[in-house]
Amino acid sequence: MTHPFLSIRNLRKAFGAIVAVHDVTLDIPRGEFLTFLGPSGSGKSTTLYAIAGFQDPSSGDVLLEEKSLLAVPSHKRNIGMVFQRYTLFPHLTVAENVAFPLRVRRRSDAEVKKKVADMLALVRLESFAGRLPGALSGGQQQRVALARALAYDPPILLMDEPLSALDKKLREEIQGEIRRIHRETGVTILYVTHDQEEALHLSDRIALFKDGRIEQTGTGEDLYLRPATDFVAGFIGNSNFLAAEHLDTINGTATIRMTDGSVISGVRPNGTFGKGQKTRLMIRPEAFSMERSPASAELNVEIVDIAFYGERRRIVARIAAGQEVDIRPTSAAMQSQGVSPCSRQVFFDPATAFLFPA
Amino acid sequence: MLLDYDRMGGLRVALLGFTALVAGFLLLPVVFIVLLSFGSSRWLAFPPPGWTLKWYQELFADPAWLDAALTSARIATMTAILAVAIGLLASFALVRGRFAGREILRGLLLTPMVLPIVVFAIAIYAFFLRLGLGGTTIGFVIAHTVLALPFAIIPIATALEGFDKSIEDAAIVCGASPLEARLRITLPSIRIGIFSAAIFSFLASWDEVVVAIFMASPSLQTLPVKIWGSLRSDLSPVIAAASSLLVGLTLALMLVTALLQRKFRT
Repeated sequence: MTHPFLSIRNLRKAFGAIVAVHDVTLDIPRGEFLTFLGPSGSGKSTTLYAIAGFQDPSSGDVLLEEKSLLAVPSHKRNIGMVFQRYTLFPHLTVAENVAFPLRVRRRSDAEVKKKVADMLALVRLESFAGRLPGALSGGQQQRVALARALAYDPPILLMDEPLSALDKKLREEIQGEIRRIHRETGVTILYVTHDQEEALHLSDRIALFKDGRIEQTGTGEDLYLRPATDFVAGFIGNSNFLAAEHLDTINGTATIRMTDGSVISGVRPNGTFGKGQKTRLMIRPEAFSMERSPASAELNVEIVDIAFYGERRRIVARIAAGQEVDIRPTSAAMQSQGVSPCSRQVFFDPATAFLFPA
Repeated sequence: MLLDYDRMGGLRVALLGFTALVAGFLLLPVVFIVLLSFGSSRWLAFPPPGWTLKWYQELFADPAWLDAALTSARIATMTAILAVAIGLLASFALVRGRFAGREILRGLLLTPMVLPIVVFAIAIYAFFLRLGLGGTTIGFVIAHTVLALPFAIIPIATALEGFDKSIEDAAIVCGASPLEARLRITLPSIRIGIFSAAIFSFLASWDEVVVAIFMASPSLQTLPVKIWGSLRSDLSPVIAAASSLLVGLTLALMLVTALLQRKFRT
């Protein structure tokens, strides 16, 4: 198969003078779990709603197996969707909710009965078949909504922040369920969230949205380890951005001068920089180490505070220019006697540090 | 809160007393009418010298009273059906619609509630006279529907506002056409509002007298009109019996509404 399963082409959506989606192009292979990640107002939900048919795009196209969906009304697109808010039909039981899409498709009673049983088993709510939605917890309601959305075997499942109304513990539990269901059904999932952890945990690929455009598309690892822009670097994971002056770039590695005058070589430039150009060096908090190693570069800091967070320690340090640096060494060797409030050097591998324009 | 009932102390007693006084002032006349309808005095003397059901027997024996009651029921039922149907469509427009003049339309539809009823009665009487609708059942139903519309729109629109449109969208994504989604999902979800609307519009017609007097003809009289007419000719306890039936049905319907609302809420 050469053509993509689902293809979003130059999608644009304007509400009057406000452009919600500028230009989104994306190909999604069958069976992929793709997440639209981004801050609120970045256009991710609007894109999803255009696929669902609730928003008509101003221009561009959405193709499913090379056929445009735009002329097809929502109820004939055969797409599954789970919404942010609880959308179970309040007057119907759990089983009747799951049966609804099959009933409107005029499936036989026997088929409906079997499919409802299968779906409730899939979301592990068999014993709740006769309950009304009002008697269910939020997490259970979203699981029923998932069963309802999958009951008619849609080729695509859209999920619009389905877990945002749930508390953290429940959210993680249902994330596990969603992953399992994706594995078991092989359905193509487009998932919208503003929660980067959720996106990293669930997705095969992530499309990071900013201001109505996709900033970068890739696996969670791509976005974390090889951020295309400083926005990606700032949005995925935690990042320190330190002011630096670009000196030279040779063979794809750059040499820079920090504000305290120290020179660091071997960092990865994101873009091309001129000599003396002001830049920002991005270092992940967990890229720091307290011990020197052969390849490491060093940073002079003053340790301000050390906090214990269970699985790791978090150190707040300050560089000479006064800027605070977030340090979360992974090394188990880091004992509290090793670091106390003092001036010292911390170390990092320059290959994990990226240079962005200031 | 400043006026928290639990923190009022002595004021609470005063408030309770005042409320009881107002309730008594409003309800006592009705209670007396009901008591008098069972009293044996022909002249509505109180306290009654004895108790009897003969006024009710007289009431049911007189075909004119029965006819008036049936006419009332018929017109109120048609009014309720029409008001709910129009109220439903109007509520969708008012709650979901995004069009210029929506607030004006809302105001217009609710006007009958604040317009002096006699003004409306005279206007529609003059209008129907020209159209030849005066004294007809159709004219009666149309006039009462206009009056009942606010009582239909308010509960339906409130229910619709409280209904998350995402639920309807979910039904559409599930494969239901927009019309099917509204019929099978939205309407059942707002059924309390629709039911309340039906009862309120029924009652708005059932106990309406001013417009009814203008709409009535000798052959087409509702119960309130018949009571009003009888009152002017002679003051018989049969009128008290008829009034008690009027109040009784009203109370029963209100009770049913309250019970259903409680049931749906849990």
